[in-house]
Amino acid sequence: MKELQLQMDAFRKSNTPVVKNGFMIVKYNQLVDWSRGNSVWPLSFGLACCGVELMHFIASRYDFDRFGFALRASPRQADVMIVAGTLCNKMAPALRACYDMMAEPKYVVSMGSCANGGGYYHYAYSVVRGCDRIVPVDLYIPGCPPNAEALMYGMIQLQNKIQGCEYMQVKIPSGYGDD
Amino acid sequence: MGELKHYTFNFGPQHPAAHGVLRLVVEVEGETVISIDPHIGLLHRATEKLMESKPYNHSIGYMDRLDYVSILPNEHAYVMAIEKLLKIKVPKRAQYIRVMFDEISRILNHLLVLGSTSLDMGALTPWFYTFREREQLMDCYEAVSGARMHANYYRPGGVLRDLPNTMPQYESYAWRSPAETASLNANRQGSLLDYIESFTEQFPERCDEYETLLTENRIWKQRSVGISAIDAQRAIALGFTGPMLRSTGYARDLRVDEPYAVYDELSFNIALGKTGDCYDRYLVRMAEMRESNRIIKQCINWLRKHPGQVIADAPKVVPPSRLSGKENMEEMIHQFKLFTEGYCLPEGEVYTCVEQPKGEFGVYLVSDGANKPYRVKIRAAGYPHLSALEALCKGHMISDVVVILASMDIVFGEIDR
Amino acid sequence: MQKPTKIALRNYLKSRPGIQLTENIDMPVIVCPVEDLIALMTWLYQNDQVQANCCVDICVVDHLHYGLDEWVGVDATSTGFERARDALSKRDIHEKPGRYEVVYHLLSTSMNQRYRIKVKLDEPSDSVPSVTKIWPNANWYEREAFDLFGIRFSGHPGLRRILTDYGFVGYPMRKDFPLEGQVEMRYDAKLERCLYEPVQVQNRVSVPKVIRQDDQRHTMSEV
Repeated sequence: MKELQLQMDAFRKSNTPVVKNGFMIVKYNQLVDWSRGNSVWPLSFGLACCGVELMHFIASRYDFDRFGFALRASPRQADVMIVAGTLCNKMAPALRACYDMMAEPKYVVSMGSCANGGGYYHYAYSVVRGCDRIVPVDLYIPGCPPNAEALMYGMIQLQNKIQGCEYMQVKIPSGYGDD
Repeated sequence: MGELKHYTFNFGPQHPAAHGVLRLVVEVEGETVISIDPHIGLLHRATEKLMESKPYNHSIGYMDRLDYVSILPNEHAYVMAIEKLLKIKVPKRAQYIRVMFDEISRILNHLLVLGSTSLDMGALTPWFYTFREREQLMDCYEAVSGARMHANYYRPGGVLRDLPNTMPQYESYAWRSPAETASLNANRQGSLLDYIESFTEQFPERCDEYETLLTENRIWKQRSVGISAIDAQRAIALGFTGPMLRSTGYARDLRVDEPYAVYDELSFNIALGKTGDCYDRYLVRMAEMRESNRIIKQCINWLRKHPGQVIADAPKVVPPSRLSGKENMEEMIHQFKLFTEGYCLPEGEVYTCVEQPKGEFGVYLVSDGANKPYRVKIRAAGYPHLSALEALCKGHMISDVVVILASMDIVFGEIDR
Repeated sequence: MQKPTKIALRNYLKSRPGIQLTENIDMPVIVCPVEDLIALMTWLYQNDQVQANCCVDICVVDHLHYGLDEWVGVDATSTGFERARDALSKRDIHEKPGRYEVVYHLLSTSMNQRYRIKVKLDEPSDSVPSVTKIWPNANWYEREAFDLFGIRFSGHPGLRRILTDYGFVGYPMRKDFPLEGQVEMRYDAKLERCLYEPVQVQNRVSVPKVIRQDDQRHTMSEV
């Protein structure tokens, strides 16, 4: 019991999860964010070339399921939209509609130079010069296309972002905790 | 009882079976398709217009991004057009390297089609299998050009550089023991050619694996046999090329009929189907992969015996080697001039085409004597295929539309350009 | 081209002085007036010696800037890059007769022979007869030519835009259409929809278009 008290004090001081003796002391919100970060469901939405690298990230060698990702076909079930490829004017309203359909909290990863800012096609008349003109972007991954490892690194960064934001802010009923 | 009406619904542009961004407006009676209106252009990136604004050598990269599943054959058509107008002779070794990588791309492409078609029909396993092999072939791309996908490897006059003598290796880390690393590196000890050879040796077995999963699979056959069958006459009238045409039993392959590079020196068979349905298209692609594997083997044998230069001696087009550029002033000026202004092509026009995995991929190049193309028209193989979607789908069920789409092997990078 | 095909083609063209046949480095080129197009195409399709049964491609070439370069003056380089460069889009260029050229690529799969047919147009509104009745896959190619160049094809079953956005204004592949277009898209959070605004970027031409007659070709023939 004394050990646990010490652990609690350490947690109070640092405000980060403290693991000791098989126990982990963590704030409820942190636990929620930890689990949210480890079950991120991206929308399967390949626009162009980057979609192939996205598929490679999903498939055998990189196996994105081990990070807790699972591809969803419907935007209503998805947490993350990976904009993988060139976004064109004709496609932009559809992309925005997909984004609007996603449930909060939602995140957008802009993958590749075309989605980041038009890239190789920046000056073309039919290309949106960066998908951040259409949807708010959380994370940009550079490359043309970024290889699967770069995407993997980016998605881990997204997990870090989700886990660090304490989005939920759940009120714990009195009697269950002291703070 | 009210009057029964045809029901019109929208498919895509965000749909996992649309293979990119395709919007279909489908009219159905019950579950039978009455008409389909494909709306394309959702990935229209104005490639042709952009190419007109850039010197010739800046545009090779656009070719990669057209059909982003079979990358190097696209470049092949474009550099062939430039070579034809400039009348450059490409060294034999470069031609063999090109053919080898064209065939590697063919396998890459067919593996993706196979995987995604089965995924659309609900089979997940073949997809993981095919992507395992795709990763190995992408390592070849990476070893030779530095990029896993958009290689930008072919140049007018040859290829960028010779095949590397070493392969990149896996490294051990906390989760991978040295023994495991050694087994992963087993076929990476020699040169790139050794690595490709080890791939070609195991690949027929892999093909057998896919066939075990699919060829006699009851669901697979139920979903694809007899779906969108078409005869050769009609297929030609609709502009079909590649496996789509060969599955009808009509033997037309540009590698044989209009041989380019060194295809006339290699021995291979053309795979033919009978009925032109989705199942035959699958069988033709499977057979083509095995034939490609044979071609790659022949190329490896030739390339081992014949070292030499891989780019033509055409100093006005081909940049000088790095070393000579550092030692020799004229070479440095050449280098500077080539990469700031580019080179001018003689006035004229040319159409070159290659047998890309999807069919005939052509580049129509018009030059007015400048350092930029005056007009480039890209003849995408998938464009006439998709335009025939209504003809193929009429009278079939809604669920067949997905299978037909997948069997057509469409990629929007090239269709929308 | 095989000999019987050549003879058949020569004989056909003898009676039609408006149609010209030339040999290019890759395939024979037939330049044809608009009036004779359908007759010629039907003949190519039906004749036993030609059998052009496949329409490979249809495209349009806009000759507005043909042979014009952006780099003016040999001695102007000392005054700086920008002054020596003369953007084509800003120059006053007069329209030429025969500005548009519709190019058909045909293929005979049985003879293994390709043909290029060209039709010259002064105005895009001069309509070209559609060949969809002969080759059904010409449908989309003609729609594309209409979309990108504004060429009208008479007798086409449904001539509408195909590649550009719904409600697009202008014909983007014409040479006088700027590369970066007229409008660009943005999402407006207040109106809650995507909307078009006048374009703000300008294409920075880092390499001007030059036409050099001097060294390139001579060295090429030596190689």
